[in-house]
Amino acid sequence: MIFSILVLGAPFNSQSAYSAFRFTQAALASGQTIYRVFFYQEGIHNSSSLATPPQDEFDLYQAWQDLKEQYQLDFVTCIAAAARRGLLNESEAKRHNKSASNIASQFDLAGLGQLVEASALSDQVITFGH
Amino acid sequence: MMPSKKKHILIVNQSAPYSSSNAKESLDIALAAGAFEQSVAILFTGDGCYQLLPDQSPEKMHSKNISQMLKVLPIYGIDKLFVDEQSLSSRNIVLLDESMTHTKVTQLEIQALYQEATTVFRF
Repeated sequence: MIFSILVLGAPFNSQSAYSAFRFTQAALASGQTIYRVFFYQEGIHNSSSLATPPQDEFDLYQAWQDLKEQYQLDFVTCIAAAARRGLLNESEAKRHNKSASNIASQFDLAGLGQLVEASALSDQVITFGH
Repeated sequence: MMPSKKKHILIVNQSAPYSSSNAKESLDIALAAGAFEQSVAILFTGDGCYQLLPDQSPEKMHSKNISQMLKVLPIYGIDKLFVDEQSLSSRNIVLLDESMTHTKVTQLEIQALYQEATTVFRF
């Protein structure tokens, strides 16, 4: 089965992001294919490179990055949703003339076409809501 | 880059137009899907029905007008707009923006919309 995952919730704000992570991890561990994980709406906050949870708490940000490296996944953060919420990578920061960037390198910034393409090429799109 | 495999995308709008970014950000998905020539249907249900009210003036609170934005959908090949008639009657909404072509649907017809869809996005 080929899955794509749509993440709409930010870490800590709701259970959504953590559930999306656990689902993705479980699907991969059982031999399923994850075509793409797409981060949209508040879900874009998962791609922050600056978030620093307390050391005695689970670090979901790092966990996503490790999962991506382990399975060579395709992580896409919606460029428009991220920009309006203050998440930029280096080239976007330059383009908008901002002083810093804050998206982890494991996440590509792209448009909603990548979500549409993922839905066309996957058997199932699983949404983890707000 | 878009594959030939065509899917039926159903976008379910259950949020009021200006209480969150849901209306705007679900519309963006609809437009992207339309631009890539996917088959898209949009269902307005629950508080999402308020998106279709006429004479919205959100400019006063510095928001873009959702109903004006919905009117561009046909340009992107999206002409299947459905409204849950039960949600309309339970909210006593009698007047919708008639410049948008929409079809009122029953619970049974909504079931059919879900069954036809290969992907459902709920906002």
